[in-house]
Amino acid sequence: MAEVRLENVVKRYGGFTALPKLDLHVNEGEFLVLLGPSGCGKTTTMRLIAGLEEITEGDLLIGGERVNDKEPKDRDIAMVFQNYGLYPHMSVADNIGYPLKLRGLGKSERMAQVRKVAEKVELGELLDRRPSELSGGQRQRVALARAIVRRPQLFLMDEPLSNLDAKLRVTMRAELKHMHHEMGITTVYVTHDQMEAMTLASRIVVMNKGRIVQLDTPERIYSEPADLFVADFIGSPSMNLIHGQIAGGTFTAEGISLPVSAPDRAKVVLGIRPEDLQISDASTAPIKAPIFALELTGESTLVTLRAGATQLCARGAADFRAKMDDTCGLAPRPGGRIHLFDPESGLRLPS
Amino acid sequence: MKKQLFWWGERALLVFVAVVALFPILWMFLTAFKQPLDAYRVSIFFTPTFNNFKAVFDEPWYLGRMVMNSVIVASVTVMISVPCASLAAYAFSRFRMRGRKFLFFLVLSTQFIPAVVIVLPFFLMFRQLGLLDTRLALIIVNLAIVTPFVIWMIKGFIDAIPVEAEEAAMVDGASRLRVIRDIVLPMAAPGILTSSIFCFILTWNEFLFALIITRREAVTLPVGLVNFRTERGDLWELMSAAGVMITVPIFIMAIIIQKHFTRGMTAGAVK
Repeated sequence: MAEVRLENVVKRYGGFTALPKLDLHVNEGEFLVLLGPSGCGKTTTMRLIAGLEEITEGDLLIGGERVNDKEPKDRDIAMVFQNYGLYPHMSVADNIGYPLKLRGLGKSERMAQVRKVAEKVELGELLDRRPSELSGGQRQRVALARAIVRRPQLFLMDEPLSNLDAKLRVTMRAELKHMHHEMGITTVYVTHDQMEAMTLASRIVVMNKGRIVQLDTPERIYSEPADLFVADFIGSPSMNLIHGQIAGGTFTAEGISLPVSAPDRAKVVLGIRPEDLQISDASTAPIKAPIFALELTGESTLVTLRAGATQLCARGAADFRAKMDDTCGLAPRPGGRIHLFDPESGLRLPS
Repeated sequence: MKKQLFWWGERALLVFVAVVALFPILWMFLTAFKQPLDAYRVSIFFTPTFNNFKAVFDEPWYLGRMVMNSVIVASVTVMISVPCASLAAYAFSRFRMRGRKFLFFLVLSTQFIPAVVIVLPFFLMFRQLGLLDTRLALIIVNLAIVTPFVIWMIKGFIDAIPVEAEEAAMVDGASRLRVIRDIVLPMAAPGILTSSIFCFILTWNEFLFALIITRREAVTLPVGLVNFRTERGDLWELMSAAGVMITVPIFIMAIIIQKHFTRGMTAGAVK
């Protein structure tokens, strides 16, 4: 177990700057998720920590020790790759036992440990198979078993679930979470799936264009997004973002007039999550617009209205029924949150 | 109807090409078992004899020495060239160093130079070093010819190996050389074997340099064949027997290559 510190880390590839300047502190034992769209620098950050890429400027400290110039093998980390990175010419047992073999463990001791770990991830029956004879989920387990067979200081996981089908992804997610709880090893996890990030993380780092946009607990990332990018990126369906103005304590946009407690502003973006909106009587509701789409998800119905140029999504009851193009009314749910952002800088406005 | 015609036309063409390609080889095999008198007769009916094979190993031909020379030169060339080329190919495939593309082009460009152009400088160089008519000289020359080609071939096989397996091994605690030994070489093995056999065949059949650089002691099989053109005329039956000696090992290797080559193409898929 160890803490990880990136201090003023810069990564350039020739003329291209992937990470302009990164400061990041991963606490001991925490599950930190790097979240962002592709090309945001999250995988680069992870590869810098692993030592698979060289740091251009700045310092990387693992467990208080500067490791910039250390080979990956000397950093005492374990990594799970997106494509698993298994050794196709070795059996499952040899794959899992390879890190132990490199540390000079004898064959019998190695096999004992491999068996123990294989039981844990339910691979006991498959130890003699080759990776090519396994399903995607089983390969994922082999990669995982190889990572946990020794107790490293640090786990790195690069989109480990992205090649699995949706159902398996949910099961494996729970298993990862349980495993982290059991072993308590510091973990850095890269994903572009906000659902994975929300469910797994102790803290989430939202990245965009090589910079950290917000670093916080999943709850706060969700309830207090730092800017429009985070607001839009986190949540499914994503937050409604409406361009309008505030005058005399009322926010107005086409088809919308909402009371807000904020000073007057000529240009503002109002954000409200679908679950913070509820369907109400069309004659008195602050938001009135024709229904654009109705989607039943099982536990609720997603109602999308078209108010002028913007589409607004609300989560209604599962038994809500209406006709398309009918006018529908929406109102903020009591206790629901309303977020205000500056459209120029994208930053959240204090409320 | 038209389709059938095409089918027959295709077969006819294939048979024609096969006959043109294979007939000389068949004829060589037949001649190798003929009496001197039968050698000039265009007949496939004759009393076979093994005398030719015995004769070529006896005085004055001493084919045995040439076989030894060929085997030693080709094997040593493979044993030096393939390990060196494997490491070079790995570097060209994986390291993003400055001037990588230019260097690789330089390596390949040696293959564009016609052998005849550089045979004289080689001759002068070996005369200066006192290495004329030695196996060592032949090995050096063959290394120069074959290694760039082998680098290029093995690089293709290493390029096809997913780099993630290597990165996984490095994180698991392996040094770069250990990664090459434990991960890259086993995965590239079919390709490296194919390249080795290619390298062997190229060296085994090399004629021009061997002709110029050797005289008596280090003569290899292809050059030795020329000896059968004597003042008594061309001894076709002996030349054919020697030809069979040259061809058979290559045949066997070609069969091995075929088996491993297809495996080399399909192995290594991880995802």
